[in-house]
Amino acid sequence: MKKKTKIKKTAYHIFVSVFGIIMIYPLLWMVMSSFKESNTIFITAGSLIPEKFVLDNYINGWSGFAKISFGTFFKNSAFISVTATIGTIISSSLVAFGLARCRFKGRKLLFGAMLLSMMVPAQVLMIPQYIWYQKLGWVGSYLPLIVPYCFAIQGFFVYLMVNFIDSIPRELDEAAKIDGCSYFGIYYRIALPLMVPAMVTAGIFSFMWRWEDFLSALLYVNEAQKYPACLALKLFSDPGSSSDYGAMFAMATLSIIPIILIFIFFQKYLVEGISTSGLKG
Amino acid sequence: MKRKALALVLTAAITGSLLGGCSTAEEQTRTTDTEDTAAVKTDLQKEVVKSGSSDDIKLSVFWWGRQLRNEKTQQILDMYAAEHPGITFDGQFSADYWTRLATLSAGHTMPDVVQMDYTYISQYAEKGLLTDLTPYIEDGTIDVSNVSEDILETGRVGDGIYAICNGINAPALLYNKTLLDEAGIQIHDYMTLEEFKDVCREVYEKTGYKTSLSYGSNTNGDFLPYLLRAQGKLLYGDGKFAVDSADDFVQFFSVFEDGIKEGWHVDPSLYVERTRGQAEQDCLVYGSSPETMSWCGFYHSNQLVAMQNSAPEGTDIAMTTFPSDNPEISNYLKPSQFFSISTDSKYPDEAAALIDYITNSEECNNVLLGERGVPISSVISEAISVNQSPDEQEVVHYINDVVTPKSTKINPPAPGNASEVFSLIDSLTEKVLYGELTAEEAAALLFEQGNEYLAKE
Amino acid sequence: MKKRHRISIYKESTAGIIFCLPFIIGFLLFLVIPMGISLYYAFCDYGILSPAVFSGLKNFKIMMADELFWKSLQITIFYAVVSVPLKLAFALLVAILFQKTSKATGLYRALYYLPSIIGGSVAVSILWKRMFATDGMVNQILHGLGIEASIPWLGNKNTAIWTLILLTVWQFGSSMLIFLSSLKQIPRTFYEASTVDGAGRWKQFTSITLPLLTPTIFFNLVMQMINGLLAFTQCFIITQGQPLNSTLFYMVHMYNQSFVHYNTGYGAALAWVMILIVGTVTAVLFATKKRWVYDGGF
Repeated sequence: MKKKTKIKKTAYHIFVSVFGIIMIYPLLWMVMSSFKESNTIFITAGSLIPEKFVLDNYINGWSGFAKISFGTFFKNSAFISVTATIGTIISSSLVAFGLARCRFKGRKLLFGAMLLSMMVPAQVLMIPQYIWYQKLGWVGSYLPLIVPYCFAIQGFFVYLMVNFIDSIPRELDEAAKIDGCSYFGIYYRIALPLMVPAMVTAGIFSFMWRWEDFLSALLYVNEAQKYPACLALKLFSDPGSSSDYGAMFAMATLSIIPIILIFIFFQKYLVEGISTSGLKG
Repeated sequence: MKRKALALVLTAAITGSLLGGCSTAEEQTRTTDTEDTAAVKTDLQKEVVKSGSSDDIKLSVFWWGRQLRNEKTQQILDMYAAEHPGITFDGQFSADYWTRLATLSAGHTMPDVVQMDYTYISQYAEKGLLTDLTPYIEDGTIDVSNVSEDILETGRVGDGIYAICNGINAPALLYNKTLLDEAGIQIHDYMTLEEFKDVCREVYEKTGYKTSLSYGSNTNGDFLPYLLRAQGKLLYGDGKFAVDSADDFVQFFSVFEDGIKEGWHVDPSLYVERTRGQAEQDCLVYGSSPETMSWCGFYHSNQLVAMQNSAPEGTDIAMTTFPSDNPEISNYLKPSQFFSISTDSKYPDEAAALIDYITNSEECNNVLLGERGVPISSVISEAISVNQSPDEQEVVHYINDVVTPKSTKINPPAPGNASEVFSLIDSLTEKVLYGELTAEEAAALLFEQGNEYLAKE
Repeated sequence: MKKRHRISIYKESTAGIIFCLPFIIGFLLFLVIPMGISLYYAFCDYGILSPAVFSGLKNFKIMMADELFWKSLQITIFYAVVSVPLKLAFALLVAILFQKTSKATGLYRALYYLPSIIGGSVAVSILWKRMFATDGMVNQILHGLGIEASIPWLGNKNTAIWTLILLTVWQFGSSMLIFLSSLKQIPRTFYEASTVDGAGRWKQFTSITLPLLTPTIFFNLVMQMINGLLAFTQCFIITQGQPLNSTLFYMVHMYNQSFVHYNTGYGAALAWVMILIVGTVTAVLFATKKRWVYDGGF
């Protein structure tokens, strides 16, 4: 009996890890390719392990463009992603709480507006947004890449958190209200701690999306010194001619490290969370 | 307490938005304070720089390209700035160049000097986004005494010259010389279309290598007019095609049709598996078997270097002319890229001086080394040749000795609304390759739909 | 006096509006205006390079006659309807498998989540093309399994769209994360109680997990449906609509019209038609919500 479960367990682990490796094969491939000689990457795309391990791509890629090293681009990305993510989380959690827990006139309308904000494709807003931000005098700065996100304009995060707050028992609010807690008190003392998993999820997504947001950087950042990494990465390829895949993959590999670290670091909060165990109704 | 915290967050958020508002107001006053009532536009970047140091002029220069070009271009801008105190540069290189440039133009914030392409020049010039350079050429700010008239004329749209070419190029059939030598197949410059097809058949028979025509290298838009030129015909007229009937298009599509029917054209599915126009993925240099490879590719002369670099060790890539019924008439010299001055520029004089520097300075071109194409000034082209690599010299030789003596003037730039016609030619060619259309059907559809696109205002 | 003031701040509706203030401001300032402008463009002849000129319903008339509009719409709906349920099923399965906290599951979660982080990169585009090439890995594996295959997965108009669907399903990480975080919300006591009652694993899944997860399933469904209909990247980086426009996503058609052909007004019209479609789909989903989504907290 015991042996049988052990075999079962081993089989499970083997299956799950083999499948897991298939899942991340493309990622492994990119990392491995970054150690191949740049001009052999495409020719040897079928094999994972480089014939010759070289670091040239990292040296070449890190040196960046026109004397601006890739370190600068990473620093820019970090600044944009971190500030925009903090803004997103704080503002979205406030709005989500308001939508989930307070009944007021126009609530449904706001909810609809939030859904609508997700349905408008970024590509159609490009030109009008550009013209508008230009009127605000924001073009050429990071403002368009950060400020809007501090106003909870990404419906996805608001909706995600609304959904989460919905699953928190209302009795907790009522109890707090009787104790003389204001709505902000309920938000801060009751909802916020329970929302940690949702906020962590939102944080991971937001950081990743801002880190990879190439389109707005393309439109609003003028000077090369201010480019974030995702935009700089595009400079390795020239659709009209040939591309330096080696340097591109090397820098792309470096650029996913922060996302991986954030995921690994925060995922335990996701699943362990400050779980509801202490609060079961 | 809690309420205070909320208030704080909100205040911070609102202040953020107000700050944005403030800078706008400040911005506008500053613009109106300074000169130039004609240009009522807000270019934040320029203004900020201006306020920084007293009367420095900061020119923004915008181009596309990859690392090598970025570095070289930045380097010559630095050199120029060092020689001209008071002028500094903001060099911008960008991915997705045309999307970004279009957006910048929508906001009237185009950089002072922009790299231009022959396919886009009409569009930008007709919409009044580019400065007419004729006055600068006439007063000698841009010295064109060593530039041939034909080359200069390529920058003409209507009554003005809106761009100065920064390198000469020509259509070029790149081919695997090693392969042909080994198979004992001889080819010569100025092949006719029939001779070319014979070579395709012969190569396929002897080596198993197939052929990838202009569709595979994204040069359909060049090859079709090239064939028409042999009959003395233009592709584009005024608001319609310049040809009289769909029959004139049949020849173009039938090359593809014959290739597929006779088996010497590569399978079109290959093109979905590669990125068309990318040197290292082209079937000329990459493929797992002769079935998936081509002996040639329809490119431009300046791509020889990239292609040779992408080729496997021991494979020599050479070039010859595109085939047509009469290559000596079909052939033409082409501007590889241009530099233009935008009408948004506040410093067109300084921008013109920079263009002159790029055109005529030996020092500058010794850095650039014809990376954008053979320099248009014959003096400069001569002067830098000693510093060029053998491949680069081969390009110069091709331009000077093969194309220049036996070619005619390039067609005028395609009209502004031709981009849909390009896409149409591509998708029809694809359908012919997949056997969904015959050459005649494709020609008829192109004639009918293309004319509709061109008639659109 | 003082007391009344206190009450007004405690008032539900005031508090609600204050909480929503960031979004109200942000929405008005950053979305309504650009959306208004783009809606206006939908009724204009506009080509970016020159100012917009009002042209009434012209763009919509063009659309009705635009073969690629109908074709790309059809392709996009097919793509969304097939890929979304597959992706969600996969995400839910994996989330449940790795729900328990142990060292191994932490690692597995990372393994299965990672594909999502390289989303639309050049590496994915090259690799996908190489994998599904006629002489690529997939055919080689089939060959190894004794199946004689030289299928041009990407080059065949019937199979190409499936490679994009596979790519979408492969990147199920974000839905998985959301499932994971709400799985953890289900109080353990529910399971403990049902174990006492003698319920098996499967029974627990269907009677506890699944019903309690319906709000999250609904959320993911809405989100993925919107994303599916607005999909852009997969097509843009890998097939560009080829072969024979069999993989042309609606958004790519819109992008080409707006930024390649500079028919920006027409592009805006295309976008607004899609917004209408997505809005309708979302509204329909919400209308069905009451029937199957558990509502009432834990």
